[in-house]
Amino acid sequence: MQIQTSRFGSVSIESDDVLTFPEGLLGFNELRQFVLLDDPTDEIFAWLQSCEEPNIAFPLLEPELFAPNYSVHLTKHDLEALNLDSNRGSRSFAIITIPQDPTQMTANLKAPIVINVAKRVARQCVLQDNQLAIREPIFTRLQQRVVQNPKSSIKSQALDWGVAVPLNKHTPEVEG
Amino acid sequence: MLVLTRKLGESIAIDDHIKIRVVQIKGKQVRLGIEAPKDTKIHREEVYLAIQNQNQESASTSSDSTKAVAKLLKPQG
Repeated sequence: MQIQTSRFGSVSIESDDVLTFPEGLLGFNELRQFVLLDDPTDEIFAWLQSCEEPNIAFPLLEPELFAPNYSVHLTKHDLEALNLDSNRGSRSFAIITIPQDPTQMTANLKAPIVINVAKRVARQCVLQDNQLAIREPIFTRLQQRVVQNPKSSIKSQALDWGVAVPLNKHTPEVEG
Repeated sequence: MLVLTRKLGESIAIDDHIKIRVVQIKGKQVRLGIEAPKDTKIHREEVYLAIQNQNQESASTSSDSTKAVAKLLKPQG
């Protein structure tokens, strides 16, 4: 199937690639179908692209890259909504906000996107832990990671985890 | 919306397991005590509004700005 995107043009995906958000995302309740895209020219982020609204896409990053001690405690209700028995089988991503000055970028640790990898069901889970920030500054921490270990990548692993679709694989050859 | 009047110390029960009690009234502020099963999520409404705002902002990120971040983070040399 083809989906239209304002950032990446027309993208062809398999129906299995679609992630269903039965309740949408907060503020986007009407959008239920998304796909996680891996742009090979982007060295960091994965994109959660709406299949229904071409201009809606969220840059995501796994919290492990900037918050090593972060853990997602899902409630029984979260697990039921995700069709999961336990945290195993899920992957979590933080939604990133990048203001004019990219060094002020933040991650939402309070309400991660949790994906049931096998069943392709996803949910934005609002965690009860009041210590978690909705806008956690992350630029300095990513920078430290790069400085301390220049060889290790800070690219999202979404593709390796089997939840993202590589953009180039499906992009049709441009004639001429 | 269901509207109930309660006095100080009185409470309302929601389902069988959730109880909300008025514990203090001071001027325009009301303190509520909430008893609920461990698994119940309880947040001030502002939390949800702040998350909505963050989502709205994030959804309009351009792919140029994510690449700008990568450029800034690239090790020098």
